[in-house]
Amino acid sequence: MTTKSSLLKILEKSSRKGLGRGNLGVLVARAGVGKTACLVHIAMDKLLRNEKLVHASLQDSPEKVISYYNVIFSELVKALDLTNPSDTKALIDKNRMILAYLNQSFDLRRMRENLKNLREKVGFVPDTIIVDGLDFSKVGVEMFEGFKKLAKEFQVEVWFSALSKGTTGDTKPPVIPAPADKFHSFFSMIIELQPTQSGVELRLLKDHDSTTLLHETVLLDPKTFLARG
Amino acid sequence: MAQDIQQLRNIGISAHIDAGKTTLTERILYYTKRIHAVHEVKGKDGVGATMDSMDLERERGITIQSAATHCEWKGHTVNIIDTPGHVDFTIEVERALRVLDGSVLVLCAVGGVQSQSITVDRQMNRYKVPRLAFINKCDRSGASPYRVVDQLRQRLNHNAVLMEIPIGLEAEFKGIVDLVSMQAVYFEGLYGETLVTGDIPSQLLSETKARREELLDAVSMFSDELMEAIFEDQVTEELIRKAVRKGTLLRQLTPVFLGSAYKNIGVQPLLDGVNQYLPSPAEIENSALDLDADAVEVALTPDPQAPLVALAFKLEVTPYGQLTYLRIYQGSLSKGAELLNTRNRKRIKVGRLVMMHASEMEDAQQAEAGDIVALFGIDCFSGDTFTDGTVNYAMTSMRVPEPVVSLAVTPKDNKSSSQMSKAIHRFVREDPTFRSHVDQESGETIISGMGELHLEIYVERMRREFSAEVETGMPQVAYREAISRKADFNYTHKKQTGGAGQFGRVAGFMEPSEDQGYEFVNAVRGGAIPTEFIPAVEKGFQACLEKGLLLGFPILGMRITINDGNSHSVDSSELAFRQAAMGAFRQAYMGAKPLLLEPIMKVAVECPSDFQGSVMASISQRRGMITSSAEDGVFTTVEAEVPLAEMFGYATTLRSLTQGKAEFTMEFSRYHKVPDSIAEELKKTFADRLKGGKK
Repeated sequence: MTTKSSLLKILEKSSRKGLGRGNLGVLVARAGVGKTACLVHIAMDKLLRNEKLVHASLQDSPEKVISYYNVIFSELVKALDLTNPSDTKALIDKNRMILAYLNQSFDLRRMRENLKNLREKVGFVPDTIIVDGLDFSKVGVEMFEGFKKLAKEFQVEVWFSALSKGTTGDTKPPVIPAPADKFHSFFSMIIELQPTQSGVELRLLKDHDSTTLLHETVLLDPKTFLARG
Repeated sequence: MAQDIQQLRNIGISAHIDAGKTTLTERILYYTKRIHAVHEVKGKDGVGATMDSMDLERERGITIQSAATHCEWKGHTVNIIDTPGHVDFTIEVERALRVLDGSVLVLCAVGGVQSQSITVDRQMNRYKVPRLAFINKCDRSGASPYRVVDQLRQRLNHNAVLMEIPIGLEAEFKGIVDLVSMQAVYFEGLYGETLVTGDIPSQLLSETKARREELLDAVSMFSDELMEAIFEDQVTEELIRKAVRKGTLLRQLTPVFLGSAYKNIGVQPLLDGVNQYLPSPAEIENSALDLDADAVEVALTPDPQAPLVALAFKLEVTPYGQLTYLRIYQGSLSKGAELLNTRNRKRIKVGRLVMMHASEMEDAQQAEAGDIVALFGIDCFSGDTFTDGTVNYAMTSMRVPEPVVSLAVTPKDNKSSSQMSKAIHRFVREDPTFRSHVDQESGETIISGMGELHLEIYVERMRREFSAEVETGMPQVAYREAISRKADFNYTHKKQTGGAGQFGRVAGFMEPSEDQGYEFVNAVRGGAIPTEFIPAVEKGFQACLEKGLLLGFPILGMRITINDGNSHSVDSSELAFRQAAMGAFRQAYMGAKPLLLEPIMKVAVECPSDFQGSVMASISQRRGMITSSAEDGVFTTVEAEVPLAEMFGYATTLRSLTQGKAEFTMEFSRYHKVPDSIAEELKKTFADRLKGGKK
């Protein structure tokens, strides 16, 4: 079961049909647009494909992260008319691992150690890592060098959310908003979220090495984060 | 005890096991002149803290039973319920929270918000208890109260605001700066009983200014008047206190106090905070169910003139007989008055009315709405509602979890046998999560409870308080059975040889139901089963649910629908239809493919981060599913769901894995299917045991 008509449409239409293992991707938006919800939606799609996922939260407690998933899951149940929600929920819980780093306790060395423990002690090998709450304005290039190395070492795709100071508008070629612009070379995919009156619009700002960027945008229902129309 | 209800506070003190709440309570009793000397938990003087009234508690240094006590502070009466810190005793915490109007959450300045604090906080949310936080042990090495405030915000989602900042920390901890009065406060005298105020130390001026602004910013949300005063630079202490009180009562603000109970610092300002910011009984909404009006919910008014409604929330055995703690919600109660127990409609007379001070007592003549008192010689269960007979109300029940662990207990000799029965009889009345039954096959007495430690404590109490020497078996898991698919039945119960005949036919089907309860659907049309026999059919099925046919465990989650049947004008009876239902159940049950279910526990292990790998491995080896791992400073909390059957002895394993540096809490989460291979083993074990029993 997949959430076919979702924001994942834009990923499927991208040059390599997604981010791919060993690569970093980022969702960029202003505060309050729904970056976390969007990340959870990417995560949900992976989980429902029976892939393993680590959700690393640098701000929220595991309880809060779980409640994000539960809210989005209940919206999906309604929107997609899932027949056996309790089995689907069990699949999500089994495939998801939350790593929380509270009170600025995040460091890459610890995360690497956590992933190693999960692989060696529990047999949990993630396909994707979601990193939510990293403050791009307070980190340097070495952070993303480290993440790139981690993505290669564990053969995972890593998705981030980044708070932007403003939107870039409908510029062509698209401009990557600050502060994520400083690190654009590390990212294989950059997607911008923009609120509109009828929902949230997604624009692909970077698509691997492709120079011909997809101009199509996808409009999302702000409640379910499924594509509209 | 009659006094202005506005000046009354019923509070609890809840915390993690080593946060120091018993020491704090001891200091409160000292400052309020309830006691005249201070003893420590595990005290070298061999006396022990006053609130730990059971020997066992004193010995282990933990509080097991909540002891109620009352004291006076600056014109207010404060009733305090000391609550246990171990999760196995959460029913004690739940009971305390049920009757409290406010609470103090004690946190350790070094350990911070630990897994047990999270459990206790969750319970407080459930009972909508407004609270203050007290960050204790600021004198300890590694104390970091600011980090604990951040944890309150992040891990417990509290809108926590500091009311004070520390003057020095660790060994240098000397006093506090009050952010409302903007004064430094020091605690002098042998036990810090003399408060000396002074100027804020110059090195703390900028920190004080910043924290005061933070406080004003947070509390001005609750008062337009304060907001205006801030703009006009006309802020008064009264305006701040009014706003803090409003936010606290709305449970949108948690005022944070600091101190070290052990070093006698910061306790009196906390007591001021209890008076100033926690609610009086008149500010809390309470309700009861009117049993004469279809159990409709009715609001209770804390009016001493209204009909009496009181809840028995705790029983205790004393050398003078059973002591029953009551919280009066409405009306008043006096010595010699007659009370009605609305559960069994029995009337009782109030012989002796006392106010408790831990294990000591003071006689009282009268008590009113809001008061917590104790009565002697009343025969009742914990959770019973008492009225004066003019109303027939029952207080809404507390959430009582089902026991998940059981243990066989065998008395060593005849004397112990009768004493053990007495003890069990007593414990069942005191604690609704403690149950007991006699196993029909083995003839053994089985006690059940919420965890290994919970039962261990009761076995110990049998020895100490009742002189009952008992041997215990291995702890057993409370398994359940559930069907996995629909199965039809069509059964005729017929006995028409000799004497009065019996006849009844019942047809329909059984199927799994989503929730874990039992549902009975009557879809019989045209009187195939006469209406008067339907309740007997339902009772017949219900009786079967107590013991499944797979391994004899109670059955969860079943819907039974009857849609046809037959009766005989002479031979049909309630008994015949009850038997027919039981026969129908036996006929269909195995066809509905029953499964074995086991209790799954929500486990949280807190350890230094270096041990994360070992802890994860230990959970994984126990069929556990790790759900999260949260790092905070040098500590990591690993949360998981683990079958209870795998958790016996985990405390010992964890201790050796982590050099005693980790701890865990565990609470029941849900029932889940036992994996096939383990279910097969269990079936074999039970079959062998049955054979052994029959030999």
